[in-house]
Amino acid sequence: MAEQQFDAIVVGSGITGGWAAKELTEAGLKVLMIERGRKIEHQVDYETETKAPWEMPFRGLGDAALYRRDHSVQMLNRHFNEFTEKHFVNDRENPYTVPPGGEFNWFRSYQLGGRSLTWGRHSYRWSDYDFGANKRDGFGTDWPIRYADVAPWYDKVEDFIGVSGAAEGLAQLPDGHFQPPMVLNVVEQAARERIAARWPGRILTPGRVANLTEEKEGRAKCQFRSICARGCSYGAYFSTQSSTLPAAMNTGRLTVITDAVVEAVDYDPATKRVTGVRYIDTHTKQRSRATSRLVFLNAGAFNSVHLLLNSASAAMPQGLGNSSGVLGTHIMDHASTLSGVALMPGFEAHTTFGNRPNGAIIVRFRNLDTLDGKGHTRGFSYQGGALQSGWSRGKREAGIGEAFKQELQSPGEWRLVFVAFAECLPRPGNRLTLNRSRTDANGLPVLDIALTYGKEERAALVDAKAEAAAMLTEAGGTVIMGFDEPGVAGSTIHEMGGARMGHDPKTSVLNRWSQAHDIANLFVTDGAQMSSSACQNPSLTYMALTARACDAAVKMLKEGAI
Amino acid sequence: MSESAVSGWNRRDFFGGMALFALAIGVPVASVALSDLPDEEAPSERQRAMMREVSQLVVPKTATAGAGDVGVGDFVILALAHGLEGSRAPSAGAAAPPLARFRRPDGSLRQLHWLENELNQRGGGDFLARTPAERRMLLAAVDAEAFAEGAREHPWRTVKALILTGYYTSEVGASQELQYELVPGRWDPDLPLKRGDRAWSSDWTAVEFG
Repeated sequence: MAEQQFDAIVVGSGITGGWAAKELTEAGLKVLMIERGRKIEHQVDYETETKAPWEMPFRGLGDAALYRRDHSVQMLNRHFNEFTEKHFVNDRENPYTVPPGGEFNWFRSYQLGGRSLTWGRHSYRWSDYDFGANKRDGFGTDWPIRYADVAPWYDKVEDFIGVSGAAEGLAQLPDGHFQPPMVLNVVEQAARERIAARWPGRILTPGRVANLTEEKEGRAKCQFRSICARGCSYGAYFSTQSSTLPAAMNTGRLTVITDAVVEAVDYDPATKRVTGVRYIDTHTKQRSRATSRLVFLNAGAFNSVHLLLNSASAAMPQGLGNSSGVLGTHIMDHASTLSGVALMPGFEAHTTFGNRPNGAIIVRFRNLDTLDGKGHTRGFSYQGGALQSGWSRGKREAGIGEAFKQELQSPGEWRLVFVAFAECLPRPGNRLTLNRSRTDANGLPVLDIALTYGKEERAALVDAKAEAAAMLTEAGGTVIMGFDEPGVAGSTIHEMGGARMGHDPKTSVLNRWSQAHDIANLFVTDGAQMSSSACQNPSLTYMALTARACDAAVKMLKEGAI
Repeated sequence: MSESAVSGWNRRDFFGGMALFALAIGVPVASVALSDLPDEEAPSERQRAMMREVSQLVVPKTATAGAGDVGVGDFVILALAHGLEGSRAPSAGAAAPPLARFRRPDGSLRQLHWLENELNQRGGGDFLARTPAERRMLLAAVDAEAFAEGAREHPWRTVKALILTGYYTSEVGASQELQYELVPGRWDPDLPLKRGDRAWSSDWTAVEFG
């Protein structure tokens, strides 16, 4: 078979892969996008989207016996259920390891669209508190960029994907180009007012989410079903399928290959350039090769690092682009826990209609201009909201018979819930390595993931629990529980780092353009590039940095620099 | 009384019977599409009758059908065999001496066998032979103990949780007893709630967090 030649190869089709494909094709490049998973066609393949629980063999809960066997990690994901199970990997067929005594929940979606189909959709700008964080307290390496570098790219991304949210004028969470917010419910609105009255700097605001509240270029607005991870035929949330893929396909310059895992990126030591990729058909195991002038890695943070490690060669024995030796290190995931739950009396005569695919957040208020954290120097924020309990409360309640049935017929009491997301420090010991003692179905060594939280993250969650209790109480609630122990690493599904950006080629993998220091035509624009974690959801920043890197790469290409 | 599956059980009968039953009450067949149960998980006819009755006692017929009426008994049997609601966790209380005899080789508890034995014992004989009022009282006593102050893991909690799941995810429970709307189409953040207003079974967040 003749070698396939492209201007650019994009590895991965998720949130950033779709963006890279769109930006590069729109700039006139002929692009190949390679996805390891199956093809999922927008609308056509969302098989369970309109099913009712009684139409499902296990009523939407799924076959627990099957899950224990094939989805032992994925089943721990909130969005994983009988309706969505096909949008998550089979853990048995996609192994990874952790060091002895270690734990990591790696939630993955190997399919066209990747995790853009199953993501939580929260979309926040990072601020200079975030891009300046490493420099300020000395953990990790300084970001080579600041908010001003990314701001125009945030504008571009928000304008294209559609983000609903409320402007609050906060330096630590810059406002974006928003569609109208999904407003707070009655209990959250009351909590917002009561908390702000006591602490003017603590803002409870609707989550900023990539769910449309206004129609947009062939995409309908959100129908308030809140079953996003099944796939949305309205195209009401941002996914590769609803948004970037159609744009890239419209150029006529995109080729998509699915069911093909890239085993290595090829490197030519003579030119110091990558020349293309080798990939394996996951069904036939047939190997193929494609060449290109640019390679973009968008396989998901840990898989992009995995690919770089697997691409070691005689010229680069430690892994591709790893002359610094830091490839794989400084990985992060937000430390998260259920900080507080309170009963909210006084709203018994109120209810809501519709399922808002979103909640409320409390914006970071710690360690801004004053270092006021107790034992930690970074931020935490809360996501959560107020909700009324449903019939399932009956599982916890005594009673049988008519009166019991009658009681469960109405909505139950209101509760207000705060889940903390604490910034995770970049540490050299938290790292990805190849486990050469075990190979996957394609014969590639599996990834070993070592990530533990330190005293700073734990201190932040202790702080978060205490402040959650104070705010819940101030909001009129009765606190019934709260925790400060972080969940298993990976659970926040914000795993990032491993190919960090930095000023110095000796201590970082990528430069300010998400471009490998060692290899001018290699770009890594997913979560792997992150040098710190902030405490807000990172996907919007990945998208902005991808668009920015594509623009830079195309310019360099046109100028003959690469 | 035998605790093993009655002879004559076969999957085709179980599925066929359920499907006919489902059609008779207007439930789509898909809702009771049972995947194969291994023989050791196959219920006896008596156990099926008991689970149907117990489900009906927990959620009786009112203006809407009860849980037994809509096939929840068989759903619970299927769910227990497949380990829904954590029912096949090795730690599910099976180590406690009174429960040890109902353990599977993997350490999990056969809640169905436990419940059958428990109700028969309390009833001093065949539970299903007692009067409806007596059956209700016997089950209410089990429920009261399982949810008593300080009570923790209790096999009845698991069974009850699955009865409620089976009922409120059935078409009758979800869309007649409660309300079901797959496509709300809008978000109303504050509406008056009046006594007797029915909850939405399609409020997934409310259901998820109870």
